[in-house]
Amino acid sequence: MELFFQQLTNGLAVGGIYALIALGYTMVYGVLKLINFAHGDLFTIGAYLGLTLLTSMSLTDRLGPTFGVLMLAVMVMMLVGLVGILLDQAAYKPLRTSPRLSAVVSALGASIFFQNTIMLIYGARFHVYPQDILPNVVINLFGMPVPLVRILILLTSVVMMVALYAFIQKTKVGTAIRAAAEDQGAARLMGIDVNGVIMIVFFIGPALGGAAGLMVGLYYGQVNFTMGWIYGLKAFTAAILGGIGNIPGAMVGGILLGVIEALGAAYISIAWKDAIAFLVLILILIVRPTGLLGERVAEKV
Amino acid sequence: MKKILLLTLAFCFLAAGAAFGADTVKIGLMGPMTGPWASEGQEMKQVLDLLAGDINEAGGLNGMQVEIIAEDDAGDPRQASLAATRLTTMDIVAVIGTYGSSITEATQNIYDESSIIQVANGSTAIRLTEKGLEYFFRTCPRDDEQGKVAAQTIKDLGFKKVAILHDNTSYAKGLAGETQGLLKNEGGMDIVFFEALTPGERDYNTILTKMKAVKPDCVFFTGYYPEAGLLLRQKNEMGWDVPFIGGDATNHPDLVKIAGKDSAQGFYFVSAPLPRDLDTPEAKSFVSDFQSQYGNAPQSIYAVLAGDGFRVVAEAIRQTKSTDKDKLADYLHEELTDFSGLTGAISFNEKGDRVGKVYRVYQVDENGDFILQP
Repeated sequence: MELFFQQLTNGLAVGGIYALIALGYTMVYGVLKLINFAHGDLFTIGAYLGLTLLTSMSLTDRLGPTFGVLMLAVMVMMLVGLVGILLDQAAYKPLRTSPRLSAVVSALGASIFFQNTIMLIYGARFHVYPQDILPNVVINLFGMPVPLVRILILLTSVVMMVALYAFIQKTKVGTAIRAAAEDQGAARLMGIDVNGVIMIVFFIGPALGGAAGLMVGLYYGQVNFTMGWIYGLKAFTAAILGGIGNIPGAMVGGILLGVIEALGAAYISIAWKDAIAFLVLILILIVRPTGLLGERVAEKV
Repeated sequence: MKKILLLTLAFCFLAAGAAFGADTVKIGLMGPMTGPWASEGQEMKQVLDLLAGDINEAGGLNGMQVEIIAEDDAGDPRQASLAATRLTTMDIVAVIGTYGSSITEATQNIYDESSIIQVANGSTAIRLTEKGLEYFFRTCPRDDEQGKVAAQTIKDLGFKKVAILHDNTSYAKGLAGETQGLLKNEGGMDIVFFEALTPGERDYNTILTKMKAVKPDCVFFTGYYPEAGLLLRQKNEMGWDVPFIGGDATNHPDLVKIAGKDSAQGFYFVSAPLPRDLDTPEAKSFVSDFQSQYGNAPQSIYAVLAGDGFRVVAEAIRQTKSTDKDKLADYLHEELTDFSGLTGAISFNEKGDRVGKVYRVYQVDENGDFILQP
């Protein structure tokens, strides 16, 4: 039983990160009906920017570990958010009225562009975060040793997700985003600045992806320019699992995917981990074609 | 009229190509210049550029200048077959590369059909040389050789319950299977765990937790250094102090960077010797040349093995005074014996495998340095 809970915490830590990245996919899809395939690379950019800022400005030495990391997170999220807006302006805005497939191809192109840009700037080798940033404290949770950082990662993810959900549901801007997601034309007729909404979406989604990249860098230590691919793919799966376009769905999907993977690996086979996760995805989509929390809307394909 | 013009043009190009080809020897390099193994690939190119530059300064090979044509295989079989096809159209005598076994495997037949000599530098999977390909060689040893050394090391260290973990690549799976087979036949040895992880991920806690539950004496991981580094780091974080042993793909300084010195300390791995542990004069002068050219010593043994691949091809061209592929292949198969390579004496058997003992055992010390074990 202890093994089960140990694996459950393993799954939750991974799932929290999937969920955070999945939010970026789901927000963009919700408003633009576009799968932003470059999202995984925005995650990578977050990881690299975090490393650069951390080592060049020695934030944690100057401000202490807690405040330093917090400051770093804000900076990384701002910068990656800006990259997200630039991405939209350069790669997607000119294609707003084109067929949907053009934008998808443009997204794949942007992904390749980002990946190789990172390689050219930072080189192909693995980069490693300094090791002593996060305290290596192991706390005892119901008689089970769990590293504190894992709990912090999950907590941070959940807090960010809840904050985002509250922002979308309770604020005026959030209402505008929901309106634009429902019907862009009607939203425009109601006086909503749809282009502004899209810009906000392309700021928030990448910012959360960047924060996930930073967390992965801080916790796992190792970053390289291809890391966004697997995380992006898994997060995309998570978004589909929870119902793409739906924010609580992305959270549930991400955490569920992490847990399924961990338990599948633990009790069936490690090598079949991904196959098990995708099998569950297929089964869920057979029963609920729009995902766990997705709404049944006829025009969504 | 247009057709005639085109034909004339095409003819001019062909003639120019042939004339140009006469005073240069083109050697291809297929390596992972991008992708997850890009640091190996880029160092392979540095090594070959350096060695070719030396030859050209000294007057070339039989008076012909050597030209290195590098193509990127991106560490991906599909990309590699494209790279190989492109190289076969470039009038090359031989190709050096590549690193991963599954990548090499995707290109073997492409080169063989164009009778181009291929000298792989990091592809240790057994079956690559079991296909009877006449033009295929490798400067790295085979997995069965490595498996023997690994099994022996595990026995010598006194471990009884062994966990074996691979990553499903041809290389890692082959080595894991080979070692498992050797240990099974030994009395008193028990393989308590045999599974594969997915390379490229970040979180391997699930696997470590599962492995820890079967309480092995040691873990033998046959995959590559990025995953090995993460495994060591996460194992240390879990507070699990089981000894880890790695295959030769874990031999990379970045292993210690990724794992951290604390976590990497005590890690054993089986590998061809590092350039700095070689005491031949060739190796020493090569390492210092490399240092002065690029500002750091060569990091990856596979890049040095690519250099050896280039050097044996150059030697064959020099000795046979020819670029005829059959003559070169015959020379490499039969006449080249104990050529003093950067990584020790080199001879090839009839399959194109390197003969002789190459593997050693290393351990990481508390400073993160790789120490050759006696």
